[in-house]
Amino acid sequence: MAATMALPARSSAGSRLRRFVFSQEGILLIAIIVLFVAVGAYNQRFLSANNLSTIFLGNAYIAVAAIGMSMVIVSGNIDVSVGSLIGVLATISGTIAVSGLPLWLAWTLPILAGMAISAVSGWLVAYLRVPSIVVTLGMLSILKGGLISVTEGAWINNLPEGYHLAQLRPLGVPMAVWFMIVLTALAAFWMRYSGFGRSIYAVGGNAEAARLAGIDRARTVFIVFVIHGFFAGVAAILFATQLSVIQSTVPPNLELTVITASVVGGVSILGGTGTVIGSTLAAILIAAIGSSLVFINVSPYWLRAVQGLLILLTVLADLARRRKRARHR
Amino acid sequence: MASAVAAPGHQDRYAGLKRHEVILLFVLIAAIAVLAFRSEQFLTTGNLLNQGRLLVEVGLMALPMTFIIITGGIDLSVGSIMGLCAILLGVFWQKLGLPLGAAIALAILMGALAGFVNGWFITRVGVPPLIMTLATLALYRGLAEGISQARSVRGYPDWFFGLGQGELWGVPTQIWLLLFFFVISAIVLTYTTFGRSLYAIGNNEVAARFSGIPVDRIKIAIYTMSGLMAGLAAWVFVSRVSTTRSDMGTGLELDVITAVVLGGTSIFGGTGTILGTALGVVLIQLLKNGLALSGVKGDGTIVVIGVILILSILLSDLLRRQRGAEH
Amino acid sequence: MTAAVPLLRLEGIVKSFPGVRALRGVSFDVRPGEVHALLGENGAGKSTLIKVMSGVHRPDEGRMEVDGRPVDFGSPQEAQAAGIAAIYQELLLFPELSVAENVFMGHAPRLSWGGIDWDQTRARTAEILQSLDIHDLDPDAPVGALSVGNRQRVEIAKALSMNARVLIMDEPTAALTEADVERLFGIVRRLRERGVGIIYISHRLVEIFDLADRVTVLRDGEYVGTHAVKDVTEPQLISMMVGRTIDQLYPHRTANPGKVVLEAKNVAYPGTVEEASLTLRAGEIVGLAGLVGSGRSELAQILFGVTPASAGQILVDGQPVTIKSPADAKRLGIAYVPEDRGTQGLIRPMRIRHNVSLAVLKELARFFFIDRGREQELARRDIERFKIRASSMDQVVGKLSGGNQQKVVLAKWLATRPRILILDEPTRGIDVGAKAEIHKIMSELAAQGMAVLMISSELPEVLGMSDRVLVMREGRIVAGFDRAEATQERIAAAMMRSAQQERAA
Repeated sequence: MAATMALPARSSAGSRLRRFVFSQEGILLIAIIVLFVAVGAYNQRFLSANNLSTIFLGNAYIAVAAIGMSMVIVSGNIDVSVGSLIGVLATISGTIAVSGLPLWLAWTLPILAGMAISAVSGWLVAYLRVPSIVVTLGMLSILKGGLISVTEGAWINNLPEGYHLAQLRPLGVPMAVWFMIVLTALAAFWMRYSGFGRSIYAVGGNAEAARLAGIDRARTVFIVFVIHGFFAGVAAILFATQLSVIQSTVPPNLELTVITASVVGGVSILGGTGTVIGSTLAAILIAAIGSSLVFINVSPYWLRAVQGLLILLTVLADLARRRKRARHR
Repeated sequence: MASAVAAPGHQDRYAGLKRHEVILLFVLIAAIAVLAFRSEQFLTTGNLLNQGRLLVEVGLMALPMTFIIITGGIDLSVGSIMGLCAILLGVFWQKLGLPLGAAIALAILMGALAGFVNGWFITRVGVPPLIMTLATLALYRGLAEGISQARSVRGYPDWFFGLGQGELWGVPTQIWLLLFFFVISAIVLTYTTFGRSLYAIGNNEVAARFSGIPVDRIKIAIYTMSGLMAGLAAWVFVSRVSTTRSDMGTGLELDVITAVVLGGTSIFGGTGTILGTALGVVLIQLLKNGLALSGVKGDGTIVVIGVILILSILLSDLLRRQRGAEH
Repeated sequence: MTAAVPLLRLEGIVKSFPGVRALRGVSFDVRPGEVHALLGENGAGKSTLIKVMSGVHRPDEGRMEVDGRPVDFGSPQEAQAAGIAAIYQELLLFPELSVAENVFMGHAPRLSWGGIDWDQTRARTAEILQSLDIHDLDPDAPVGALSVGNRQRVEIAKALSMNARVLIMDEPTAALTEADVERLFGIVRRLRERGVGIIYISHRLVEIFDLADRVTVLRDGEYVGTHAVKDVTEPQLISMMVGRTIDQLYPHRTANPGKVVLEAKNVAYPGTVEEASLTLRAGEIVGLAGLVGSGRSELAQILFGVTPASAGQILVDGQPVTIKSPADAKRLGIAYVPEDRGTQGLIRPMRIRHNVSLAVLKELARFFFIDRGREQELARRDIERFKIRASSMDQVVGKLSGGNQQKVVLAKWLATRPRILILDEPTRGIDVGAKAEIHKIMSELAAQGMAVLMISSELPEVLGMSDRVLVMREGRIVAGFDRAEATQERIAAAMMRSAQQERAA
């Protein structure tokens, strides 16, 4: 067809490779490799099987949570309550597990609960037009306080055998990592190939143009929140089933880590762009950075500062990129 | 504060607010009544003064937060700035050996600097306030954690606790501090050119710029004030609990924002009063107190705070739309 | 061009908005394979007409037909489904997404299992671009990085992807380079060959004579006439556009211009003002005429410091000055009553009293405290002097009529005691009575020695009020007339890039 001959080197493998390397995803992949090589060279124990397992197994659930969070941010919103949500869902999972009910319920009911809770937030944001920062700020304390009030700080131990889903190792790779890889791939595929997936980008990119293209903004945002609740639920399961004891506290810092993963993964906080592959890679990178601090003798207490700095730098870079683009037109 | 001219048949920006503050006042009175009924410890001078003592930190930070939200912005980093200043206070005094007075002043100054950084990036670089203060929420807390290495500082001299635990003329010391700033803030907001400019910016930033109002300078000022107050709150807090820890103030931004929004300041900007914020602060504290006296533990109260935040936004949105429909 | 059934036909369209009758019985039609130009001054009703055609507005009266069948569009989607697509000046694209995705957003080709067929999407985008003879647009490029010309071509491709048979283009060449304009013409010609009907709105007469088959003229919301382009001359078109009896009385003045108070020498601002120079004398009213987009408001905003000049010099009272902000301008005695009352001039939810004091807060204050007494006095005097009709000084400005709102803005700026007053469309959207009052105020101010620069798109107003008329076009001041030599036709001719001037260039 004449078209393929007349167009510039769109389909050449070389230009595609170049585009990937300079994309956010490419940069992250390179950064991960560099980090592992550099820290591993400095301290070999960083690359030990045990440590690698800790990094990947222990943090896979963050990548899963970041999938849903990325979708929310692409649509132009945010959810700062995801950490508390995961804490609540993990407790629900543990409670079901020790109550004698079939184990598979302990793995599925929390996901439904996550979708339901997130649907409430989503409804307030999408249909009542309450800014998402406020809704999720309120939801954060409702969930956090609710969790502690109900459990009164009690821990859940004597979790039954067979509960620890995340620790199974099909083909030698921890189940949690499988979930991370498979869900990321599925979500990436869905966001790329489904009409609804693209409408999330449209709504976040230019709400007016999306409207004229016939896309229902409120419905799209609402459904995105529900999907986000699903991923939070899965993340909670992966989190809970790694532990021998489920504490009734919310893992500290969790929402920040998830948001950082999305933002650093290329999901612009201004909406309309970013991929879940990016957020998964970023989640791995952040986990690796966190782990590496110990091995290079930096106190792990600096981790949160590093996260804050990463967000700031990514946002500044994003702003600079947009401004440069506007000027070169 | 109310206008002198109250001609019938006109709509003014106070009408809706008056309704909101009146509602709030009634709710406050009702809440007091209910709580007094449920627990005989509630309505004692001792308890009430103590509650007053406890709300000062949130109260101090809620004052500049009102300014910020009136202009249509937000500052999520206040809790983290407070934690950072608390740590710095301890570090300046213990590690660097500065005289305590200087350490306090310097820590508060650092708070102002932290707020200035927020304001500068928001105005000169153009980072949206939500994202900037979300990033600094993490960054400043992270600095606090990193600097302190989770170790706490203790052993302050006795005079230091005068602010947080002492009394002046029968009333806890810090309440006087809060009252002082409350009065100044109310006067500034209602009677000065600065306050008028805030409302202008929040209602229509473009028109404000076209009228020659120095919008960027004002914004930098209010974010700096927010950091300064957080630093002040840190001093009060450390003085009250006798130690310095890096997790101080975690989650406090929720209380502050809820108090401001509950007090009638619209999250979208353009309206709000210091009196409303004060009512909001008091109401939240009373609620916490009431819940505690009923046996609900501290963490349970934040559920209520969260619900109140969402409800008050819905309420103020409803009132706003009603008023709009009358136009 | 065939005399077939028109693709789109409108008859007797009436559309009103609160306070203004935008269209008063307009008829229009477009045939397959023709370029039909729509001509008219600012405010003639062109933009309302195309919004009715594209389903954004519903007409109050009148009929619309597509292919001879009556239609009633309730939404832009319905118009799109009927094959009518509009390309506005503010392009509605997704900057982060690719060209192909923008073209096919919402209606991308699907694979058998339901997922989006990206290969097809890209291929069909390439096909469409090919058919328009566009060979340098990569379907995978993110739209945000494209030039204005390229983004416009994406919009055209988008319209074609929805099988548009009528394409409405609103001032398409306003922001384009010469090269892009040529390419656009090529595309338009190709579309015409394919039988697409193109409605082309433009002020550039040379384009209309070059490209269009027929031209329709609107004036003040009324339909003036339709002619084949080959049957009409430029002077005829101009007179159709502007010819009207001046039935309004303007306050009679004898101008006594004093010394030069403001002088701008070759000031520029990237993108909008190429190079403009003017002088203003105390006691005179200078009218600045020009088309939308000619740079008049932008020039005013340079003088007022909203967008400081990137080149050139400004002198006040003969001294060079730097104006980097409205505060600087205020200090030099310059005041600017902006074009967009609601967004730039007023704070609508606030009261009259608070609006009129907005520019002089510092002056009304003692040690930062606003002197309420003086503020009230100011408001009272302004309401009296300008005859602002309101229930009280505490009335919210948003509820006032257009005329009274404008008076509030004027009062606000006059409180700063300026010596140079720039008014941008001071009587737009205002009833006759208020217009006359504002004109009277302007005359009085000039008589008292103020230098007044009045930007206006209403030629009768320009002629009636000005001692001198300047005409701005494409970022430059291209003509100046004294009161005696100014006529509507001369001014209009200078405003538009005429065919003769083009050929002479």
